[in-house]
Amino acid sequence: MRSRDGNRLSARSIFKLVLLFYSLALSASEYLISYRYVVQDAILYNETLSVAKSMQKCSGSAHDALLLESDGSDNLKQIISKNEDEFLSFIHTLGLDVKHSEINTNLQNSSTTILTLKTTCFKVDFNDNFARITALN
Amino acid sequence: MKYSLLLIAFLTVASVTADETPSSNITINCENAKTGAACSKPQTQVIDATGLDTVVTDVPKKEDFLAKGAEVRISVIGQGVAPMNTSSPAQAYALAKRAATADAYRLLAEKVKGVRIDGQDLIKNMMVQRSTVRTTVQAMVKNANVVETTFKEGLCEVEMEIVLAHAQFSN
Repeated sequence: MRSRDGNRLSARSIFKLVLLFYSLALSASEYLISYRYVVQDAILYNETLSVAKSMQKCSGSAHDALLLESDGSDNLKQIISKNEDEFLSFIHTLGLDVKHSEINTNLQNSSTTILTLKTTCFKVDFNDNFARITALN
Repeated sequence: MKYSLLLIAFLTVASVTADETPSSNITINCENAKTGAACSKPQTQVIDATGLDTVVTDVPKKEDFLAKGAEVRISVIGQGVAPMNTSSPAQAYALAKRAATADAYRLLAEKVKGVRIDGQDLIKNMMVQRSTVRTTVQAMVKNANVVETTFKEGLCEVEMEIVLAHAQFSN
């Protein structure tokens, strides 16, 4: 059985499939990363680094880039955990939001400092030995 | 009668002119007026009716600003302590360094943007029951560089600096 405009429909569906694959391929290497840590009374209290694949294409232009050794892996979380210090210093240069509050009651002092990197989109290109991480602003 | 009215009018005019406020002029001593730097304390000189100069009030000082093409380097030292329950010296160092970095960021934000301070004293029966001082800082710090890190006897110190240029604020 074949519909009257069967050929036309199949061409359209092929076009849709190609478009879908193309869009998936584009967003596959984009990640959303956020970072936050809390220091209470000069002692690190809590540190959170969230890495997630972007569900949709990010807008914005590429700015700063970082090259990390990947050893053939395409798992960004693993790569970051292996090169944690380097990645964190890269995040620091992008800019962190600082919130600090200090309270002194009857000459007793307590303080809380929160450093936050708001959720930022990063473009990641995986090569054989290196992963190139670029911030999109 | 006519002369008495004229005399009264003359006396009122004389009293009004005598009550007039003395003339004043303002003097600001500035060595380098273009850059706004090195201004001495401005004063207001008032010359009274007797001709003697008396200093009365201060005029707000002209605010310093970053000159075109100039840079300011701000350097701070943040301190952090390792927690008691660490599993290794390396972990203690890493955690203390994080805390020191946060402290350095806070100090930079304080220097560049300023601190908000709120104070509250509770006094009951002529005695201070509770005295509270709250300070808050909120800023976005970009392009801060770590210059040096030291770790001695559980205390980590991170020296951090930031360079502020005129171009960053000209927009």
